[in-house]
Amino acid sequence: MPPLEHLHMKNVLQTVGVLEAVILRSFGPEGGQVLFTRDTGQAMLSRSGTRILTALQLEHPLARLCVWKHSTATGDGSKTFILLLASLLRLIHAAASKEPNVSHSYNSTKAAEAATARHLADKLLAFALKELDELIATGVVPYGGRISWEDFTATAQSPSLANNLCVQKLLRSFFHTRFGYTHCDFISHLACELLSYWKFKNELPSFSLQFVSDNFPALHTPVSGFPVCASRLIDGQVIHRDFATPPLKTDHQPVKAVVLTRSLQPTLLNTGDVLEVGCGGRMMEERSIVHFSAWMERSLQGIIANLQTLGVCVLLSAVKQSAAVLALATQAEMCVVECVSEDELSLFVRLSGTIPIWDCSMIEPEHVVTLTFCRPIQLGGHRYVHVAFQDSEERITVKPCSLVICAPGEGQTEQYACALQDAVRMLLRTWEPMHAAVTTTSKRTLQSHKSSSLHTDNLTDRTTYRSSAIQPIHKCVLEPGCVISAGGSFELLLHYALLQHGHSCSVSHDLNIDTSVSQLLANALLSVPQKIYAHSPRHFLETQSKVINSELDLGLESVSCKYQLLLAVLQCVRSLLKVDTVLPTHIALHTQSSRPASTSWEDTEDELLSGYIHLHTHTHTHIVYHAIYKEE
Amino acid sequence: MALNGDEEDFEWEPPTEAEMKVIQARRERQDKISKLMGDYLLKGYKMLGECCEVCGTILLQDRQQKNYCVSCQELDSDIDKDNPALNPQAALSQVRERQLASQSPAPSHTPELNESPSSSQGNMSVPQPRPEHCEGAAAGGRTPLPPPAVPSPSAPASTAVLAPTRPSVTPQSSAQRLVLQEAEEAVLTKLRWATNQLQSSASLEASIQLCSLITSCANSLRSLKEVSQ
Repeated sequence: MPPLEHLHMKNVLQTVGVLEAVILRSFGPEGGQVLFTRDTGQAMLSRSGTRILTALQLEHPLARLCVWKHSTATGDGSKTFILLLASLLRLIHAAASKEPNVSHSYNSTKAAEAATARHLADKLLAFALKELDELIATGVVPYGGRISWEDFTATAQSPSLANNLCVQKLLRSFFHTRFGYTHCDFISHLACELLSYWKFKNELPSFSLQFVSDNFPALHTPVSGFPVCASRLIDGQVIHRDFATPPLKTDHQPVKAVVLTRSLQPTLLNTGDVLEVGCGGRMMEERSIVHFSAWMERSLQGIIANLQTLGVCVLLSAVKQSAAVLALATQAEMCVVECVSEDELSLFVRLSGTIPIWDCSMIEPEHVVTLTFCRPIQLGGHRYVHVAFQDSEERITVKPCSLVICAPGEGQTEQYACALQDAVRMLLRTWEPMHAAVTTTSKRTLQSHKSSSLHTDNLTDRTTYRSSAIQPIHKCVLEPGCVISAGGSFELLLHYALLQHGHSCSVSHDLNIDTSVSQLLANALLSVPQKIYAHSPRHFLETQSKVINSELDLGLESVSCKYQLLLAVLQCVRSLLKVDTVLPTHIALHTQSSRPASTSWEDTEDELLSGYIHLHTHTHTHIVYHAIYKEE
Repeated sequence: MALNGDEEDFEWEPPTEAEMKVIQARRERQDKISKLMGDYLLKGYKMLGECCEVCGTILLQDRQQKNYCVSCQELDSDIDKDNPALNPQAALSQVRERQLASQSPAPSHTPELNESPSSSQGNMSVPQPRPEHCEGAAAGGRTPLPPPAVPSPSAPASTAVLAPTRPSVTPQSSAQRLVLQEAEEAVLTKLRWATNQLQSSASLEASIQLCSLITSCANSLRSLKEVSQ
């Protein structure tokens, strides 16, 4: 077994440096695309940082940690995440090697450096949680604007507004980073339409966005083989299954449907059961299984007759129904849709306001839902079921619609679908109230720091700007809907705000730590716009002046997303620097290979935090590395 | 540099210019390594959790399960540059350093070495060996020249070229003169043979090789004459 390896800052820097080198060429508006090829010959082009990083084969635990952290942190900005991470680590390393912490005795410079670096990372995170949102609110937001939820397109707004802020513009810049010029306008328009249909009346924007984000798999249909411009919205819901029995012949409206969660034919017999055929203890001749199944069929016929009296002609079933059920249903001129997925069924139930049938012997009128139509629809190479709900004021407050995403290939449809889902997530984060987004661990540190700031408040003379820190945790300083122009302006403005803050701190001889920390953060932030304009330093200088005068018009970015990204970067830095040792182990695995890639990252996090040696979801024997955290 | 003891005051001083250059070079090297590793990762290599024992860089593994260290196998090594056994440049710089060290005491010794001023001057006047000259001579010793007799005169010639710093001055003994004469004769014979071959050769490659043989014979003759003086 390979020996234990102590981790040095050099290794951490190298790992993150390599990841940075990987994504650097795709970064920025001039960034290129990565061509992915599979052994099957499928090829795909992508610039999405998430896709690139998760496609790499990384066995080094630190690299996996970085990639995991970013993929769960944000729906966007993964390349910015890695860039900020790399520049922060480099600056921390430089600062740590200058002033090793001599308060403890260490065996070597490396250990002292590592300890200083850890300390710096903790201070950075504490500073960010305590003061960053105020800095952003005062230093960055005034240069941007606010989008209101009501305005989706530029035309709906009054022309007097200088900056033409609207949701579509924000989405357009988002899709521009994903797809380039060609389709970003069309897709952003489509996304705006989708969101305007799904606006729940009398609800917060975050509610609608959360709904769309949660139900997105059921709300869209990928169709490959068509040009992207063929994508459209369809009224009602598309159920991604075909009819199991011939569809309704006559298009009589309205159509009544029920939702079944179990098989109509009750399974009285399980494997291993023994059926004793008799009749009340008396032994009769010729009682056999045939009579038993005939009796079962008679009860089934009764259920179907019950449904017929209620006028039901569509059965939506979550499970596979037996052949007898299908035959009887066809005879009764009912159509059956089998094996509907759980999320689609739950969406259907939610939109129709009905109750699914649990006990087949008791079918009540409230189990029946009225639909406008239920017919087959041909999308691409597949035939699906298309249903439309009847408008009922007390049940639905929204007009449901489904999105058909067309693209030339299967990989591309998946890309567009992912991009749309990430866009919705990004909008959700823009409109979500800030305090809900803070995680529990950061709340705890926030509390401890708030108490310490209370203490020092009594001792020193502070401006009113500082005293706002005493207010309760739930106050959200950043208002929902704040946006700023894209192209690195957020980083530039925050850089200046941090420098100013550092100066004011040093002037008031207050908490000297804050100065160096804010300086460090400011320098790290500058690396992002530097990389964006790496090809032309002149543009960089021009941009700096334009940003101050609020003249930049390169698109929009969400302020709270950027803030979340920064917090995520600082938390990742702290986790990376806390790792003390790498412990390699040999594990033979043969677990389920059907687990999706996303959950394997969650396992990784659990392993790393709790120190277990857990099974991984691969099928070969290989060395699995686990990082052990140092307790301090 | 142990950091035990709190009383010691470690003041951080800014690095000197030489150190800055070293730091800069190291940083550039690290950047190059990162870029190369990134390219390999995009090509489908796997990043392992192990480090190379030699240089400490993270190892990569290709599809055929072969481990690969970018800095050891692709970039020139950081420390091999300074090893005189591997690098002619390093050997040259070592030679130059020794020369500089011996040059300062040398002028005081010249009046005592009157009996062989020419030899010491001959030793000193062998020009600061240029890299290509040095490499050529070293290569000349290594390449298998067709006539086996040629390397032997060139070998003492190269040793004479590479060891100009030997401060001890060998007196011109008659045995040495004899050896040198024999060497001169052998070289002249070869030169004559090469000239004959050149006149009758029909292929281009053979002519080029013969010409280079003639050049090296002439060089050997020149060095032999210098040694005998």
